[in-house]
Amino acid sequence: MMKLEPSMLSGIVLRNLQVAPGHFLMDLRLPASFPAPLPGQFCMIRMTERLEPFLGRPLSIHSFRRRKDSATLRLLYRVAGKGTLLFSRQGKGAAFDILGPLGKPFRILPSCPTVILVAGGIGVAPLAFLASHYRRSNHGSGKAAIIIYAGAGDSTKLVGLKSFKDMDLRVSTDDGSLGFHGPVTSHFEQDLTSYDPVNSIIYACGPSAMIRRLSEILKGTGFACQVSMEERMACGVGACLGCATALRDGDGKVRYERVCREGPVFDIRDLSWE
Amino acid sequence: MRGEAILSIKPSMAVDLGGLVIKNPVMTAAGTFGFGEEYAPFVDLNKLGALIVKGLSWEARMGNPPPRIRETIGGMLNAIGLENPGVKAFIEKKLPFLKQFDVAVIANIFGETVDEYPRVAEALSRAGGVGALEVNISCPNVRKGGIAFGADPDSAAEVTRQVKRVTDLPVIVKLTPNVTDITVIAQSVEAAGADAVSLINTLTGMSIDTECRKPHLSNVTGGLSGPAIRPVALRMVWQTVKRVSIPVIGVGGIMNAEDALEFLIAGARAVQIGTASFINPQATLEVIKGIEEYLIRHGMADIRELIGSLIEPGSV
Repeated sequence: MMKLEPSMLSGIVLRNLQVAPGHFLMDLRLPASFPAPLPGQFCMIRMTERLEPFLGRPLSIHSFRRRKDSATLRLLYRVAGKGTLLFSRQGKGAAFDILGPLGKPFRILPSCPTVILVAGGIGVAPLAFLASHYRRSNHGSGKAAIIIYAGAGDSTKLVGLKSFKDMDLRVSTDDGSLGFHGPVTSHFEQDLTSYDPVNSIIYACGPSAMIRRLSEILKGTGFACQVSMEERMACGVGACLGCATALRDGDGKVRYERVCREGPVFDIRDLSWE
Repeated sequence: MRGEAILSIKPSMAVDLGGLVIKNPVMTAAGTFGFGEEYAPFVDLNKLGALIVKGLSWEARMGNPPPRIRETIGGMLNAIGLENPGVKAFIEKKLPFLKQFDVAVIANIFGETVDEYPRVAEALSRAGGVGALEVNISCPNVRKGGIAFGADPDSAAEVTRQVKRVTDLPVIVKLTPNVTDITVIAQSVEAAGADAVSLINTLTGMSIDTECRKPHLSNVTGGLSGPAIRPVALRMVWQTVKRVSIPVIGVGGIMNAEDALEFLIAGARAVQIGTASFINPQATLEVIKGIEEYLIRHGMADIRELIGSLIEPGSV
């Protein structure tokens, strides 16, 4: 699937519902000309004609549907600060400027037999888009497995799980209020030996501590793992260099790459930890 | 002319920036438009008056560790750290893309020492395809304890002289507002041979995370840009226009045509659009269109009728 050039278009809120404390699901109606996004991509979201908050907020694309005369962009987001708080207060009809789709998507491996998703908290948002993409391709026929590890602090913070119905969903909570008692990484680690690096691919998204723990678990195992990172952004297209994140090559040499352009998807082995 | 007057011809928007004539007075500010590729899907680069690229040094620079940016009210702080691929890599890998377009390319340059400036300037002058140089003197002089070159009239003049010595390209000196009197610096670089000045660069600021009691930026301080700084930029442009004869280019928080018009009326020969592109990729094109519509609406056949047309109290 070819990645198309992004554009900035007007989106109108169709609905904006609280799905968990501090977590919202927003549907935006966009012109049919909005380029079809790929899983792992994001949009810079801004309220039309408002100067406060100033910058757009980067939000992962949760799902996208195009019809003949319009498209619907679905965002699953957490209220993390001033910008997302403002978004959460918008109702049907509110106008947004949507810049996207942006960023390097997840790399799809169509013939990989086992696809493992590791989602921490709101990290589930882009992974749900990825899961539906895999399901619609050959994995839906039952030839291969999609396994989702989804974890959160407690059961009230688990979101986006409806996207994984009819899939092998394994839930965890740090406090044990639902599913496996412990961090999502421990849940995954417990099953690690049942997977084979030669015929699996892992995709992860979640808080930085979770990704770091996952990188430690996978170190030296030979598993391929793609991670969706996040960083504060200004332009979202790669011009301002504000979202640089540190990567490390085999010799330990550090370099910066743009989360909005070379990312947000990176190979977990390239990430540099302070 | 009354509001009813409508021009039947397209007004002339071309302006002369001390030797480089550009088709309209709207340019992209250094550091906000990369090397053109990132914004090419949104902006027809052929329509811009000029494209000022990210600041270039002799060697590649990695830039500062994150966090590099922080939103503020009406703007943002940045401490990118002058990350750039180095002048040689720019000439080999980035300039060819820009040469495809009918837009003046202005290379912004800087150095850690005075000697670095002419090396970068010379390489760009020989490369071909660069219409002018914009000299960033807001960066720290590492040989003088990190004081910005542009904070001292003599350092600013010395850098200007060294660059002028090695190039025939028009030399625009970009001034820092973090000084007591920017007009003194402007006059000093004019006397040293600058063909034009651009102002302002960012205002130094900072922000603190109160929960963890740490600065938001890894560099602690950063440059404030965006609409919050516009009144300061406008005032400094107005003051500088009165003190130098060379063209003054206005930059600082210009978001739309209305803002740009203020600077032109105050005497700026041209304007740069920076932070505005982050929130509206089409900002530059909207500014060009808006200026043209204003000229038509006011019956001005040439933008020079507008530049410096401020009516000050007490004037006849």
